[in-house]
Amino acid sequence: MSSRQPPKRARIDGRHLRSERTKQLIMEAFLVLLRESPAMPTAAQIAERAGYSVRSIFERFADLSALRVAAVDYQLAHAAALAPPRHVDGDRQTRIKSQVETRAGTCERGVALWRVFLYTIDESEELKLRLRIARQRTIDRFEIMYRPELSTLGDVERKHLLIVLETLTDMESWARLREFFGLSFEDACAVWIRAIDRLLPATPTGA
Amino acid sequence: MDGRRLRSERTRQLIVEAYLALVREEAPALPTAAKVAERAGYSVRSIFERFPDIHALQVAATDYAITQVVTMAASRDGGGDRAARIKSHVNTRARASEHWLPLWRALIALQDGSAELKARVRAMRERVLSLMEHMYEPELSTLPDVPRRQTLIALEAIVDVESWARMREHFGLSFEESSAAWVQAIDRILPPTPSP
Repeated sequence: MSSRQPPKRARIDGRHLRSERTKQLIMEAFLVLLRESPAMPTAAQIAERAGYSVRSIFERFADLSALRVAAVDYQLAHAAALAPPRHVDGDRQTRIKSQVETRAGTCERGVALWRVFLYTIDESEELKLRLRIARQRTIDRFEIMYRPELSTLGDVERKHLLIVLETLTDMESWARLREFFGLSFEDACAVWIRAIDRLLPATPTGA
Repeated sequence: MDGRRLRSERTRQLIVEAYLALVREEAPALPTAAKVAERAGYSVRSIFERFPDIHALQVAATDYAITQVVTMAASRDGGGDRAARIKSHVNTRARASEHWLPLWRALIALQDGSAELKARVRAMRERVLSLMEHMYEPELSTLPDVPRRQTLIALEAIVDVESWARMREHFGLSFEESSAAWVQAIDRILPPTPSP
């Protein structure tokens, strides 16, 4: 009897995997369409791009709002996987450069979804929660990368500085550097590097 | 003749003010012509006699708001020592952000469909930059061109209206705490003030 069980389990897993893969392809099609045009894609457009029927979409997502939430989760997981903290023990300049380049890469990849996300956030408590998570992750990263400098500040000053750093390196702030001021990726990074270096207090000796 | 024109201008002004009041009260929803008419105490027809469409009213309301913001900023004392200038700048910018946030959000949301509104967003940002160039000229004058531009761009990001909203709505800071965060940030970003 036990010898018959493994094939059955494998069949179920395979079906589940295919369904997950379809779900992922639908989210990726949604994200690609957003990058191509700021307008919210329709279910028909997403289905066409993903190579599935509209029915396939609504078999996996209750509605487009659920798809949006899933796409945000997917993008958050993707951003975390692509942007682990690097050079945490480096000198001040190395840490600033590393943190800025990582954040800039996340912003460059994520700004299209971010905009749709912000325009529709009032409609969904789930999206509001994701916004809080995304912002908190940025703050957590600052705390990891600039621990030596932040440790020299009192609680209030430290909190205010973290908030300003998070604001400065916001997705829309990045988009403004690139679109409004017309800066290249490198020049936009240089603006952030200079600003963060000025905002942070002196690095304590021995750090 | 003059009296009639004055009355018509007054009506136009009341319609714009009604639109702005509704933007503030009902954000993020945008006011319809019917709601504006009801608030202003006129008919929908009166609105469209003065504005060809709702977009023209949005542009007129934006222009009116820009004039208000510019007047507020112009009354500020550009002199004083470093701390006084930063405090004055932050106070004016904070009050403007607090008051105009809903309209700014409406403007940002609508600008993609309107070259006229997009031009006004650009003009506002340019104005913020030129005001800071004026306020912090002593400090900025010590920097070469590229770091000077980088400093101004970073300052513009920090004192953006949405940055203010984030401190107030997301991080739950009071008006005074948010102002203190801006004062601290501007003071750190600016280079030392040169000796006179």
